[in-house]
Formats: sequence, structure tokens, C-alpha cells
Amino acid sequence: MPRIRFDSVAKSYGSTQVLPPFDLDLDDGEFTVLVGPSGCGKSTTLRMLAGLEVLSSGEIWFDDRPISKLEPKDRDIAMVFQDYALYPHMNIAKNMSFALRLQRVPKATIDEKVSRVATMLGIEHLLLRKPGELSGGQRQRVAMGRALVRDSSTFLFDEPLSNLDAKLRSKMRTELAEMRNTLDKNMVYVTHDQVEAMTLGDRIVVMAHGLIQQQGTAEELFKQPVNRFVAGFIGSPTMNFLNAELAEHDGVLVASGDGFRLPLAEPLRHRLDNASGRRVILGIRPSSFRLATPEDAGGSEMELFIKVAEFLGAQLVLVTRCGEQELIVELESSTRFQVGSAAVFAVPSEDIMVFDETTELRL
Amino acid sequence: MNTSSQQQNPAFYALLVVLIIMAVGPIWLMLTTSLRLNVDIMSETSSLLFMPTLQNYETVLCDVLWYDPAHVDYCDPTFGRALGNSIIVALIATGITLVVGCMAAYALVRFRFMGRDTVSITTLLMRMVPPAVLLVPVFGIWTFQYQLDGTRAGVILVYVAMNLPFVIWILQSFIVQVPIQLEEAARMDGANAFQVFFLVVLPVIKPGLAAASIFTFRIVWNEFLLANALLDRNTRTVPVTIVNSLTEYDIDWAVIMATGMLLAIPPIIFTFVASKQIITGMTAGAVKG
Repeated sequence: MPRIRFDSVAKSYGSTQVLPPFDLDLDDGEFTVLVGPSGCGKSTTLRMLAGLEVLSSGEIWFDDRPISKLEPKDRDIAMVFQDYALYPHMNIAKNMSFALRLQRVPKATIDEKVSRVATMLGIEHLLLRKPGELSGGQRQRVAMGRALVRDSSTFLFDEPLSNLDAKLRSKMRTELAEMRNTLDKNMVYVTHDQVEAMTLGDRIVVMAHGLIQQQGTAEELFKQPVNRFVAGFIGSPTMNFLNAELAEHDGVLVASGDGFRLPLAEPLRHRLDNASGRRVILGIRPSSFRLATPEDAGGSEMELFIKVAEFLGAQLVLVTRCGEQELIVELESSTRFQVGSAAVFAVPSEDIMVFDETTELRL
Repeated sequence: MNTSSQQQNPAFYALLVVLIIMAVGPIWLMLTTSLRLNVDIMSETSSLLFMPTLQNYETVLCDVLWYDPAHVDYCDPTFGRALGNSIIVALIATGITLVVGCMAAYALVRFRFMGRDTVSITTLLMRMVPPAVLLVPVFGIWTFQYQLDGTRAGVILVYVAMNLPFVIWILQSFIVQVPIQLEEAARMDGANAFQVFFLVVLPVIKPGLAAASIFTFRIVWNEFLLANALLDRNTRTVPVTIVNSLTEYDIDWAVIMATGMLLAIPPIIFTFVASKQIITGMTAGAVKG
């Protein structure tokens, strides 16, 4: 499997630059997920890798081979499209074997490969049907099968699950995760769904506004986001952000704002010199909250006014108010709350992230 | 207004009957005349009762038949030959028009080149020029410049030029509907530009090709004006031959009507075969809604 390297690749349409020059290394055999809100340039990146879009500048390397001038067919890449793009006039077997037939692979080999992949995906009974006779989930499998039959070194997925209903999507997601472990291929997966990204990716590349914000494992992105965007994008329900001002009291850094006063963790005080009076944004994950106990008194307590309580089975999601700002709190559903009342919650100070107000970088 | 009262109105049925007679009458007249002998047609006591005969058809097709019809003294090859000419001209012209038309339409839809929009609009504008206007210049150029007068090739060329604009226009609207992802998928699967076109795009626009071919075939088959001017005795098509057999010395109505009946058959067969390809939802299942 080649190691894929983007070397100051950029893309413009006319005078509009959609992707400023960026570098990206995809290790051999890795499952990389490009994730970001729509319009962030992730699909364009994928299409440039596929050869469906021309690079405006820069070069893409497969090991030591420049590929930006090669036709898609010469890049040894298979792709699964968002809308499946099955050939409507061919039956499923023909759809899956199209690439092999173009390569003039012997018929016996084609049949063997098609039936092996079809069995793997559970679509062997559909081989003689036309795409129009299949359901969305089945078509999705066929599209996947068409790519798998080819045995390419690199697989590209362009939001393959976005057209499926929620239940089917999570099922296919699990299957993809299984497939990832059995196939030793480079896989690049584009999605706007951070849950897909977290469950599938060995490495996740978060993009926004054409820029790579951060790349790393799911855990790194969740625990060590570099800026407010990544912190807010990764994790569900999304992180709460609170405007606050820093102050130092008796050697403890304290962030206070509209209706709260929270001491911050010790390491942060060392990282920030003369922080007193600095305006910051606090980031607290909904799952960091717990009900306050008497031991928390005087520490990191917040009194929150409960507006809505959503019971989600194992979880209870509270929409609360702290001063004028809205906060989401996620707790185990064993506790009951009275809507319209206030409750005191505690937040471990090491779970509080602090972002600069102007640059939005994590401090 | 309520539909049931409309149906009960006798005037409504009367109107229907009149329309049916207008539509079917000439065909019925042609059919019955073609089945009669000239004696029956011309007799003053012509009646609805007569002995049907296939003699007229034998006369028309005497050249093609495997036996010599007893009543034919001299086998006039004109009609058989004209039928052959018509079929050759119509099929070849339709074929060339489709091949050139689908490629041109694809290029106009998918490729970005200078003057693309102009070309696209001009093709349709060309269609608005009546063929009669072209008649004199085409006759002059074909006759004096290229010596194409009297050849089937010459008239096929004109027909292709005449029908291309509309065929391009019709196929453009079909090609636009082919999802671009299909072509991208084919490219990823290793198809070159020609394979994308012939293996993916063409099969998907088959209904469009069928519609365009029916349209072209029928126009070419029925065309009289240009054929009359450009073709000679040996290469004439059926419509020209029929008109030319109406002479001041003799009008053989029975034979003319039999030819007319035969003239109607090929387009019917062609339309029937081609329309089998017109099925809706050709792109069903290609991409998500």
C-alpha cells in the first residue's frame, strides 16, 4: 500500500480559492476520516485524490510517485460515491464486474471475485437484479462491493452512509468498522458526521473553511482539541461554551462569568502568566457535569436553572440556564429533576478547557 | 361541467364518429381500392361488394416476388426499386444522424469549449429554415459542384444535415439527465472517455435515441421535395415514384393505392421496434433521488 502525501496542494475555481495550500500525510494502511461541516473542502480533497478534480497547485505523492497528472484509472484507486452512482442499465453482477471487464480479466476470475465479495456483503441473491429494484441499503452495499471487487490499494468513500436512515446507517457503520480491520488497504473516508468519524477513523482530520484544523485519533481530538472549532465539532451533545474572565485568588486561577465562578486546574495557571483580567471562553463537555455533593462546597460548583429535561433512556439531557447562557448537561438517567427548578452541579476543574477569546485557540 | 352528462350528449358521439371517419376513411379507401381491379374501380356500378384481389400488390412487387404473377405481362421494376431505395436511404440517413447527433449532443452538454452556447442555439435555429428554401441552392451545389445529383448518397447527406439539429437538441435534454456521478464512477472504474460514452452514457439514453430515430426515420421516409429534385429514375424513393406515376396518359389507381399501403408498413414496423426501447425510468436506481 502506498503512503499518500499531499504536498502544498491547493484548489481554486476561477479566482475563488476553496482550498488554500495544505500538506497532509496518510500513512500506509491507515483509515483516515476527513470530517467537517459542509463546504469545508473535504470532498474536494477526496476528489483531487481520486483524480476527478484537477489540482490548482501542489502535488500528491504515492510513495515517490507524483500522481496529480494521472487519469483516475491509472491511480489504483476505488471509490464509493455518496449517491451510489450504480449503472442503471446493468444488473448487480455487471455493475460490480465493470472495472474488471474493462481490464479484460478472465471471466472465471471475475465470477469468483464477484461472488466472494457479494457473499461478504450479503448481496449474493441480488446479483441478477437491476439497481432500480433494490432498496437504498442494498444499493449502498452494491456500491461498496463494486469498489471492493477491484482490489485497489486505496479506497475512497465520499459520505457513503449519508443517504441511509439512522438505523441502517449505524448498522453499516459497524460493518465498515469490521471491514476496516479485515482489509489491509489505505482508506480515506469523507463525512460530516462526527460519530462516523470517531467510530471509524484510525486518524481523523478535522477541516473547516478549507483549512485542516487538527488531525489525530478520536481520543486526542476529544481530549486535546487545539481550538474551539474542534472542541465544538467533536463530541455529542456538543461542548458548552461560556464567556468568562480570569482572576487569580490565593494562588488559584479562577474563571468567573455570568452566574458562575469556577477554579481552574493547576497546570493551566503555570501555562498562563499574568492571566488576571484576561477574557476567555470556557469549554465544558455536557458529560463533565455531575450532581454536587457536600464535598464540592466552595469548589467548582455551578447553580443551573433547568429549562428542559430530555429522557433518552440511559442518558438524561438537561437544557439549563446559567445567567443568560444556555448549558447542556448530560447525566445518567437515574436522577430525576424538576423542570423549572434549580440544581447545583459540580465540574472537575481538570475537565474545563479554556480558549482564547480572539484566536479561539486552546490555552 | 360534469363528465357523465357530456358523454350522454348525442352530439358528442356524432363528433367522435366524424373524427373517426376523417382519420380512418382515407386509409380504408386506400385499402379497399388497392384490393380491387381497375375494372371495379372505374365501373359505374362500383359498389361496396367486390372480389378482393392481391393482383395489384403482385404488380407492384413483381420484381421482388419469387414467382411470376400470371396477370403481369411486363414487370415494371419502378415500385419495387423505389421501395428498396426508400428503405436504404431512410435507414442509412437515420443511422448517420444518430451516430453524429449523440456525439455532438454529448460534447455540447459535457465539454466546456469556446462558442458552446452559440453552437447549441444555432443548431436549433437551423431547424427553423424550411427545407424548400434549401432546395435551390442544394440542387445547384449538388449538381454542379459535387455531381451528387441522382445519387442516394447525395440525398442522404441532405437528410442528415436536415435532421441533425433536432436530434442533437432532443438528445441534449436526455444527456443532461444522466447523473455526472455515473460518468465519474465509470472513470474511477478505469473507463476512458470513449468507454464512458459508449458503455455508460449511450445505454442510459437509449429511450432518447429511440425517440430521435423514430422522428428522423419518419421525416426521411416521407420527404418528397428534396428527393424529387435530387434523385433520378433509378434512385427515386417511394413518395416521388407515386407522384410520378400520375401521368396525363394513365393513372393506375389500384397500383398506386397498393404502393401507398406498402409505403405505410416500414415506418410502422420501425416505430414499433424502436418504441420498445422507450421505457421510462431508465436512470432508476442510479443515484439517490
